Amino acid sequence: MILRRVGEMGRFSVMAAVIALFFALHISIGAKAIPVVDVFTALIARDETVFDHIVVWDLRMPRALIAMVVGAALAVSGALMQGITRNPLADPGLLGLLAGASFAVVVGYGLWGSAIVPIMPLVAAGGALAAAALVFWIATAAPGGARPLTLILAGAAISAFLSAVIAAVQLLDQENFEQLRVWLTGTISGNRMDYMGWCLPWLGLGFLAALAVARQITSLAMGDEVAIGLGVNVAQVKVLSLVAVVSLTASAVTLSGPLGFIGLVIPHAVRLFVGTDYRFVVPYSALVGAAYLLFVDIVARVALAPIEISTGLVTSLLGAPFFVWLVRAKL
Amino acid sequence: MKPDLIVRTPNQRLALRLPVRAIWALVGVLVALAFVVGLSLMMGSYPLSASQVLHILWHQPADKTGTTIVWEFRFPRALVSVMVGALLGLSGATLQNVTRNPLADPSLVGVSQGAGFAVVALTILMPEMSYFYRPLFAFAGALVVAFIIQTMSTGRSGGSTMRFILTGVGVAAFISAGTSALLTYGDINRATAALGWLAGSVHASGWDDVWLTTACLLVLLPILMWASRPMAAMRMGPETATGLGVSVSLARWGLITLSVTLAAFAVAAVGPLGFVGLVAPHVTRRLTHSGVGLHLLITAGVGGLLVAVADLFGRTAFAPVQIPAGLVTAMIGVPLFVWLIVRQQARSEL
Repeated sequence: MILRRVGEMGRFSVMAAVIALFFALHISIGAKAIPVVDVFTALIARDETVFDHIVVWDLRMPRALIAMVVGAALAVSGALMQGITRNPLADPGLLGLLAGASFAVVVGYGLWGSAIVPIMPLVAAGGALAAAALVFWIATAAPGGARPLTLILAGAAISAFLSAVIAAVQLLDQENFEQLRVWLTGTISGNRMDYMGWCLPWLGLGFLAALAVARQITSLAMGDEVAIGLGVNVAQVKVLSLVAVVSLTASAVTLSGPLGFIGLVIPHAVRLFVGTDYRFVVPYSALVGAAYLLFVDIVARVALAPIEISTGLVTSLLGAPFFVWLVRAKL
Repeated sequence: MKPDLIVRTPNQRLALRLPVRAIWALVGVLVALAFVVGLSLMMGSYPLSASQVLHILWHQPADKTGTTIVWEFRFPRALVSVMVGALLGLSGATLQNVTRNPLADPSLVGVSQGAGFAVVALTILMPEMSYFYRPLFAFAGALVVAFIIQTMSTGRSGGSTMRFILTGVGVAAFISAGTSALLTYGDINRATAALGWLAGSVHASGWDDVWLTTACLLVLLPILMWASRPMAAMRMGPETATGLGVSVSLARWGLITLSVTLAAFAVAAVGPLGFVGLVAPHVTRRLTHSGVGLHLLITAGVGGLLVAVADLFGRTAFAPVQIPAGLVTAMIGVPLFVWLIVRQQARSEL
């Protein structure tokens, strides 16, 4: 037992070290290279008169923080979705939640303008919830029930429809949507830090709910009947997971726009190391997701420097081949 | 239903069975097509009456502006919509028959995206040789994607339609991301040109596109008609098809190549128009039951009708803003797609 605890501590500290490393790299790499030593002095002793320190504190830190939070949120919500639907291909992007949240934000922005900012996570959550409900309704209405294929097809259909409507709305009102255009491809940028305050309660709620249901999801993965036999309140677990998934996805979309495939890739990678016990899968998904998105964001900034690619494109370019491999290996 | 008409030669050597209902459907679709093309010649920011349009078409120019508008803008645009719709409809029908999957559509499984990626790459990286090579590049891109999906989805346990589609969804996501990366990376002016094309819009179409798509249709339609026999056999499953004397793997590759070619030319002309290849064959199946050959012909007509209506709606509904036809077809196609998933027969392989 003690040995296991020690092993757990070791694994945890390795993960924390990886995150710290990527965090430091993320902050020091950029259009203006700042030596790691200077980054550390900036972090320890902030000096408003030194330009590098301002860059670190006001531009790079927020961006790195947002990347971490969004990565963790999407990875956890992907892990929960895979557990609840018992579907290895579940992901907030593939099942249409990201498209639903983006659509709701675009519509809300068109109706109320920037007054929407304080309730943006709520609006996004509404959109994500509606899209999720629609996709699940379609998939369960199909003969044979909600199998991976029907879920993915329904998700693809809803996403395609919503992006067509978004594109049409953009064409009709170009000035208003100019600002949303870049956001819609999934970008991480420090100036969305203003939204962080509005998202924090939702993020907290989401992570807490995820941790609370983690234990029961492990039994749920063996099938609803088995879970009921083991004394799990299945309906309650499902509702709580839905709350977690929707509020985490909505916060992620509010902060960075739709970033695909993170929720698919990370939980699978995590399961390779920690097994199928969701008490470990959920927290490690959060950690690995944070590290992964920091890494991806570094790649997006340096790959074609001085041009930045949208982070969402990099996550898709890395995630889609993984998806194809998963289809080949698991189905 | 009326009995089929059977035409015989006097000595009874040859007989041809004509499915009356299907032929009426074909005639009806063609009439509707002519009607929609006529409408799109009349409607727009410079409205013309039916008689004016007829005068202009018979080269009795009473109205200089009208002549320019009809001959330079509206007519090629309407014709390109029809041709592209026909190509995409045929492509979708072929793909559905070969994969025996009613949900197969060139835009769902990444074939259109492959063609789109190739054309965007051409537009952005080598703008000087742009127009002429477009179809070639689109074809190459689409074929490569089809090949990848086909290879990836036939694994140890043999090919399955489910894998084919899921792999296609993944590949499509990958290629779309690549296309977007090219658009952000590339020169802004070229990227803007590529962007308009990518939304699937026929607004810039001219007579070049008309000739290109018509030529493609004229060459490929007879080949398709000739291939409709192996296609009918393929529909019954690989075992039955083998029993009927069809070389299954050859027919599969040949028909997929044919389907990809059709989609590639359509994409090269106007950009990826979503869901036409999905909708047209299904609407046709609802209209009438017929053999594969006649079904293909009607599908071509329905596809043309769909895109022509989508374009007409897109440019007149919110005038002066023009909604690209691709968005309209997606908005029509998705609900049908959902309905198909829900209605999917349990016996089918999905």
